[in-house]
Amino acid sequence: MSILIDKNTQVLVVGMTGREGANHTKAMREFGTQVVAGVTPGKGGLTHEGLPVYNSVRDAQANHQIDCSIIFVPPAGAADAVLESAHAGVPLIVLITEGVPTIDMMRAVQEVKQLNAVSLAEGGKGIRLIGGNCPGLVSSGESKIGIMPNKIYSEKGRIGLISRSGTLTYEAAKLLGDAGLGTSTTVGIGGDPIIGTTFADVLPLFEADPETDAVVVIGEIGGADEEAAAEYIKNHMKKPVVAFISGRSAPKGKRMGHAGAIIMGNVGTPESKLAAFADANVPVADTMPQIIDLVKQVLNK
Amino acid sequence: MQTVTSRVTWLTGVNFSLYTPGWNKRTWVKALRRNILKLHEYQGKELLRRFGVNVQDGKVAYTPDEVRQIAQEYGQAVVVKAQVHVGGRGKAGGVKFSPTPDKAYENGQKILGMDIKGLTVKKVLVTKAVDIDKGKEYYVGMIVDRNVQSYTLMACAEGGMEIEELAVEKPEAIIKHRVDPVAGLRPYEAREIALKAGFEGNLNKLADMMVKMSKAAFELDANLVEINPLFVGEDGIPLALDTKFDVDDNAMYRHKDLADWRELEAEHPLEIEASNYGFAYVKLEGNVGVLGNGAGIVMTSLDVVNRAGAKPANFLDIGGGARADIVYNAVKLVSKDTDVKAIFINIFGGITRADEVAKGVIQALKDGILTKPVRMRIAGTAEEEAKSLLAEVNSDLIQMYPDMFQAAEAAAQEANK
Repeated sequence: MSILIDKNTQVLVVGMTGREGANHTKAMREFGTQVVAGVTPGKGGLTHEGLPVYNSVRDAQANHQIDCSIIFVPPAGAADAVLESAHAGVPLIVLITEGVPTIDMMRAVQEVKQLNAVSLAEGGKGIRLIGGNCPGLVSSGESKIGIMPNKIYSEKGRIGLISRSGTLTYEAAKLLGDAGLGTSTTVGIGGDPIIGTTFADVLPLFEADPETDAVVVIGEIGGADEEAAAEYIKNHMKKPVVAFISGRSAPKGKRMGHAGAIIMGNVGTPESKLAAFADANVPVADTMPQIIDLVKQVLNK
Repeated sequence: MQTVTSRVTWLTGVNFSLYTPGWNKRTWVKALRRNILKLHEYQGKELLRRFGVNVQDGKVAYTPDEVRQIAQEYGQAVVVKAQVHVGGRGKAGGVKFSPTPDKAYENGQKILGMDIKGLTVKKVLVTKAVDIDKGKEYYVGMIVDRNVQSYTLMACAEGGMEIEELAVEKPEAIIKHRVDPVAGLRPYEAREIALKAGFEGNLNKLADMMVKMSKAAFELDANLVEINPLFVGEDGIPLALDTKFDVDDNAMYRHKDLADWRELEAEHPLEIEASNYGFAYVKLEGNVGVLGNGAGIVMTSLDVVNRAGAKPANFLDIGGGARADIVYNAVKLVSKDTDVKAIFINIFGGITRADEVAKGVIQALKDGILTKPVRMRIAGTAEEEAKSLLAEVNSDLIQMYPDMFQAAEAAAQEANK
């Protein structure tokens, strides 16, 4: 069943009647995603493209089974929308919005984690947030809950893909498709400093997925998520992983106070990430096309 | 004895994002572009004062006469400090101890109008001098830390420049604490941190200063706030001698009052123009104009242009969902750059429609704005429509390629002609 979502996942679109919400609802349905309803506060009772619109997530739940909500709400209300879905017990929440204030995300992410713990303790499905500032996720040929172009995900493959960058995700998926390898599930975890799900959170899911043979991790300079991913791979993963790091020739700049230097040390540099992956025996591609060669190599081992 | 001043320095050879765990790519680019809100020392102090932090008295002066006046008013030795958005003021001679009002006037004359790393000093802060020898200098700071998904508060009994060496040599000397993003810093936690760090002085007042600093960070959406040095004199009362603030760009909409503090200075004119369009743009050294949709793809585009044997002239992210008019403006902007010999456009449409991109480029060509060869790769949503639009125009100036490497190679070739 790929990971996180499949063809049976029932989706609620929060902010469905807005410009982005409407466009992407249409594209998701064209892909084959089961969008069952939308939420726009104040527009409850209307229909949009034949789908019912509700005032709140709870109202939608009263009439539908909701497995996942995808959020297209402007930055000022985005974190609130996340919490609405989380408190309603929606097991998977995808926040697409870019530009949400960092503090709002800190608070939302922490609260989602607490709700997740409670849900799991009570024997529930747990609650997971993906994003913000992310392209969403897609199980190729089955269901797309996000904003990526449809056609590169039309056919199912056996490579899992996780990325911090939107456009590079599409790039890698297209290359994998053209090479005849294809993707099982693609997860865009988002480019913001505070995000709900990290590389290290997704890797175990791929490790346990019978439909995934290898995983491609697309990282970036900055932060320590790639280093944490390498640590997980080293200690817990049997499936082969290939990595790519973008921004290695990015312009140099200044630092932010002493605090930044203290907190990060040398973590975050391309060198640090390369060293971490080398330590975990993860080959790192120099260019995007090289990802394909490396994936083929690790599969043939 | 003069007070130690803000010691934020430029660090070359190390990536910006390395030191900004709390920043996303867009903010990083904006910071490079220097159009994010930067605060002067006196503004940061003003913000801390609003939250009840005991801050060193000081006033801003624009002329040497005003400097003398403030010094007379204080009736004691003062320090005259250049107010510019750049580190290394002290080393450049922009911070001077002034025992008398006359000396303050003289130092004001020297510092006002001086050039520090390409920036002209237009104002100075005149503060009461503190006898550093009669007290201790500490460091406290809070920064967005993606590794703990909240703020990390840092406290260290050794303030000043040495703190970074200390972080490497004796990391245990710096106390780190995750601040709960909902509850904020609780007074008992602040007391524990002060004790652990080995701060001497009035414990409750020290803790209170940290709690207030934390409140300021949360209320003002700070990516970073530092009090350095935090001075504790013989009376045991903590006093903030200098501070550094950095505000989250995404939250500026709820801090309209701070937006007035934005100062555009010493920027490349194209960077100023770009910020008016709302683009993430950085002027670089090379001759291939680069534009793409999303910081990730633009970063990779720079890598690819470098590989193709040319140098990028700029970083330009038009963002997601870009419509024809936005692309038109982007092409206009890059074309204005006299360094640019060829333009490399790299678009992968998810939220962005490829046909909209093509329309923007074609309109720029029709209006005579586009005079340099454009080599582009547009893929994704509405790719076919984009191809047919370009086929209709059929101009040598605009050529499309199936992948970004070929497009970058072609652009590099044009630029190196």
